[in-house]
Amino acid sequence: MIDWLAFLTVLIVTLIGAGFVVLMYSLGVRLTAVSADPDVSVTRAAKWAAYACFIICAASVLFGIWLLIPHFH
Amino acid sequence: MDFTVLVVLVIALALFFDFTNGFHDTANAMATPIATGAIKPKTAVALAAVLNLVGAFLSTEVAKTISGGIINEGPGGVAISSTMILAGLMGAVLWNLLTWLLGLPSSSSHALFGGLIGAAIVGTWSFGAVNFAVVLSKVILPALLAPATAGLVAYLCTKMAYGITRRADPDSGDKLTQKRGGFRYGQVFSSSLVALAHGTNDAQKTMGVITLVLISSHLQEPGTGPHIWVITACALAIAAGTYAGGWRIIRTLGSGLTDVKPAQGFAAETSTAAAILASSHLGFALSTTHVASGSVIGSGLGRKGSTVRWGAFGKIALGWLFTLPAAAVVGGLAAWLCQLGTIGIVLVVVLGLGGIVAIFIMSQREVVDHSNAISDVDAVGSTMHIPSRKERERLAAKARAAARAAEKADRRAAEATAIRAQAQAALDQADTAVLKAMTRAAEKAAGAKAGKDKAPEKGPEKTPEKVAAEEEN
Repeated sequence: MIDWLAFLTVLIVTLIGAGFVVLMYSLGVRLTAVSADPDVSVTRAAKWAAYACFIICAASVLFGIWLLIPHFH
Repeated sequence: MDFTVLVVLVIALALFFDFTNGFHDTANAMATPIATGAIKPKTAVALAAVLNLVGAFLSTEVAKTISGGIINEGPGGVAISSTMILAGLMGAVLWNLLTWLLGLPSSSSHALFGGLIGAAIVGTWSFGAVNFAVVLSKVILPALLAPATAGLVAYLCTKMAYGITRRADPDSGDKLTQKRGGFRYGQVFSSSLVALAHGTNDAQKTMGVITLVLISSHLQEPGTGPHIWVITACALAIAAGTYAGGWRIIRTLGSGLTDVKPAQGFAAETSTAAAILASSHLGFALSTTHVASGSVIGSGLGRKGSTVRWGAFGKIALGWLFTLPAAAVVGGLAAWLCQLGTIGIVLVVVLGLGGIVAIFIMSQREVVDHSNAISDVDAVGSTMHIPSRKERERLAAKARAAARAAEKADRRAAEATAIRAQAQAALDQADTAVLKAMTRAAEKAAGAKAGKDKAPEKGPEKTPEKVAAEEEN
């Protein structure tokens, strides 16, 4: 009657997808905060790592748009 | 009643349903960014409207059946007539407006299914018209599972977001800078994705209804896609509805259930977007409204120090429970009236319009719009502000005025400097003159003393006069 397997798939994919994006963005936010610390030795690396995290998030958004448009697949 | 007039009526009502669908669902995408101050209210609905418009054009795949198997359509089953669709749409529209008046987020597709179910049952006078197993698996169980799924995911994501960004000094235990306001920028994108998903999903529903009506009345070849005017009309209707913004529902989702903070809002929206994308691509349809409401509650549970107002959620859940049967009752009544023939259809239209107007008048007693939908916006500043043309012009005019004022000030400053220089020169001259005069007077006095005190007061008397005269120059 109800396709529990499909539901479970949706649940897991949602969890992984949302979890990944939130993880990356949170790391980006944290690294941005670190890069503002007075300790100069780590700030530059933190800044670039934060940028990398945000770029991964942007890529996820683009992937979402790709999924939304049936023309692409 | 003339067949084509009926078709026109159905299309008009379908487009109005699309409009209510749009303004019912603005909140799903935009309630949380408005609540955290990530986007200004009016900008948010404009953004959502544009994304809905674009989304409607991006995805025009139309379902083969209106009800997706809920009603036994096709050979051997019920032939859904245009009057049935009219009755079903009337039920859906009235329920959508009533829930808007009460500020309840409710699923527009459930309302449409409900209306059609009622119309089909009354139209055939048998419950055999409805496939109740499908109703259970496609409507009722997803309505329970969608908020649970989204709520769980949003809860975990919120916990994680706060856990990762929490920074404390290891020695003193003091909190360090956290920069959680940065989540506001993310909110702009995550909520936009939800709005775009809504456009690609929901405009199709109306396109499907209109296309099937056109096919069933032999105005369109079976098996062909929606006409371009149908796509355009549906896209415009849903965008207009979105821009009108169901502010009452935005209020409920944005501040009624829980107070939303940026990191929490970002987690909620990301969960909503992920759930919608996953469900629409993995074959287990979940309603956007249920997912969005569940996400907000889950994120509220996940943030320490926030409270979830379960009373508000109880009301919403009650609304969900009633959506299908209530729309079915209205749809059934309308279908019953339609069986009277032309008079019945006229009656349905008149009563329906009366109901719509009545709900609108009731809504005017307490107007909720962009200015008061969410009173205590966490307003540290919006991350995104697109100035309108008027604002741009006003800003440009201001800049020009400022430039002119600065120029004038410059000129005046230059003039002042010149005058001061002149005055200084005159003063110097005067000083020299005084000195000369005094020297001369002293010499004269000395000369007079030498010359046996001849008219000693002549010199000193002359000097002040001379000074005054020279100072005037």
